[in-house]
Amino acid sequence: MSRNCKQLEQQYGIPAVGSSASNIIKYAHGHDFLYTNGSPIRYIAFPFPVAGQPQSVHHKYVFESRDVVSGKPMMQAFIDALTAPLTASEKYKGPAPDPDPAESRFLGPDTEENLQRLFKELDYTDYLPIILPTEERVADMLKGTSRRPDEVIKVLDWPGGRREVTVERVAICAVMAGAKVEYLPVILALANHIPFGNSTSSMANMILVNGPIREEIGMNSGHNVMGPHNEANATIGRAYTIMSKTIGGLHNKLTTWSTLGSTMQYNNVCIAENEEAMPPGWKPFHVQAGFKPNESVITVATGWSYISSVTEAKREYPVHMWMADYMKALTMGSATIIMDPTVAELLKDTYGFASKEQLGKWFAENVEKTNYASGQKVKPFREASVNIIVTGGGGQTTWFVTDFMMSRNMVLAGGSTSIDDWR
Amino acid sequence: MTGKRCSAFLAIFLIAVCSAAYSAEKIRVLNPTPPNRMVDRVPLTPRLDSLEGKTIFLVDIGWGGENAAPSVYEEMKAWFAQNMPSVKIEVRKVKGSYMQEQPELLKEISEKGDAALIGIAG
Repeated sequence: MSRNCKQLEQQYGIPAVGSSASNIIKYAHGHDFLYTNGSPIRYIAFPFPVAGQPQSVHHKYVFESRDVVSGKPMMQAFIDALTAPLTASEKYKGPAPDPDPAESRFLGPDTEENLQRLFKELDYTDYLPIILPTEERVADMLKGTSRRPDEVIKVLDWPGGRREVTVERVAICAVMAGAKVEYLPVILALANHIPFGNSTSSMANMILVNGPIREEIGMNSGHNVMGPHNEANATIGRAYTIMSKTIGGLHNKLTTWSTLGSTMQYNNVCIAENEEAMPPGWKPFHVQAGFKPNESVITVATGWSYISSVTEAKREYPVHMWMADYMKALTMGSATIIMDPTVAELLKDTYGFASKEQLGKWFAENVEKTNYASGQKVKPFREASVNIIVTGGGGQTTWFVTDFMMSRNMVLAGGSTSIDDWR
Repeated sequence: MTGKRCSAFLAIFLIAVCSAAYSAEKIRVLNPTPPNRMVDRVPLTPRLDSLEGKTIFLVDIGWGGENAAPSVYEEMKAWFAQNMPSVKIEVRKVKGSYMQEQPELLKEISEKGDAALIGIAG
């Protein structure tokens, strides 16, 4: 929104006003202005919520309510935003008059107890104890890659501030998360995807690892793959959160405004695919995405929710039809289905799905939702927007339907990245 | 028995002293956070003298679906019709996601419009 306003004003000389609900106006006036946009855009802010309200409420917002920013009647505020002469600060062009906030390379010296407390006060952690990143520990961690510590992986332009993601900062976060040295290439590849998804809704992320590195670092793709039972899965997933908060600058009510948040953000559903247990003809996810089977790849997906089958497969309720029923509950036109290898075998051997693609096509053709406003039936999925992940220990025919968007229709920082490039 | 007890107390005492000494030791750690750099300021474009007779584009960024911005914009259009009938309102929706660039839409606004409202974010 602010980007479009700025473009209209700067490229075309058209006065533009931004509008938001009151829930994010502080962010628009604050962090977005200072670190991302730089244009003192005039906003009007409607009462919250806007979405999902009946027309009568919107009528009241426009005809009777006051603008949350100026306190004026809403439409008067809009007219003034387009006609009131510019102030001196609105005419200012040049470097930001305020100095950039400083960040020292080191923190301390202080006691471990005080430093643990400091990291919490700075909101640098997930509020679980961390391993303090001493120079020695970070130097050891950097032995996990051939890359130089000062190499810049990317510069973050969202949520702004032109923050440099360096190899050393990623290693610092890996230490904090409790990761082993051999996990660093995975975490460096993951750093290409920070910060993680962020919205006023409960956006969350999923991390999928494919290829030989799963075995090399001992990732779990078997029993309890999604549970707290493996060091690599646990600490790599945690590192994503710590990187997103520290390097990425995501802080509550400053740059992240999710009203409920998500417990998935503690570990980011960090899993490995059980490629060895895939039925013949079913390809691992990274191969579907265009990588070679012997390449190690990390894929980051953005989503919100997942629904469990709860119990085992039932003859009277074929799993693909059961999944399709669950998929009707998803709202973003994208799905990732996580299934145990026994479910994949069932789908192939009993129901005849020779490949993941064939199953995705069936979902695209058969999942139908009703638009209750129009009464129309809609098919919200495409074959390419349905992803299938096979993982788990083969101990029960269970599965999850999720709304995670993977590489082929990613939003925000999603997509697949080679891990081998970061060894 | 007494000797064993003394040894045990001594061991506990030494562990406690060592732990206290360790926790009191001051260490220096690396800061994971890079500095934020503020962006350069750019001025707003001059405002209009009045909205009378002007064309205003109300742009829906797609957040919240059909019953968010489109519904509010319908009310805004009705307000102008009632209170400032010389103002012409055009409603548009962004193409795809609001995170994508919108060159065609912005060009259209520049060619046909005098001002714009972009939203509603929430």
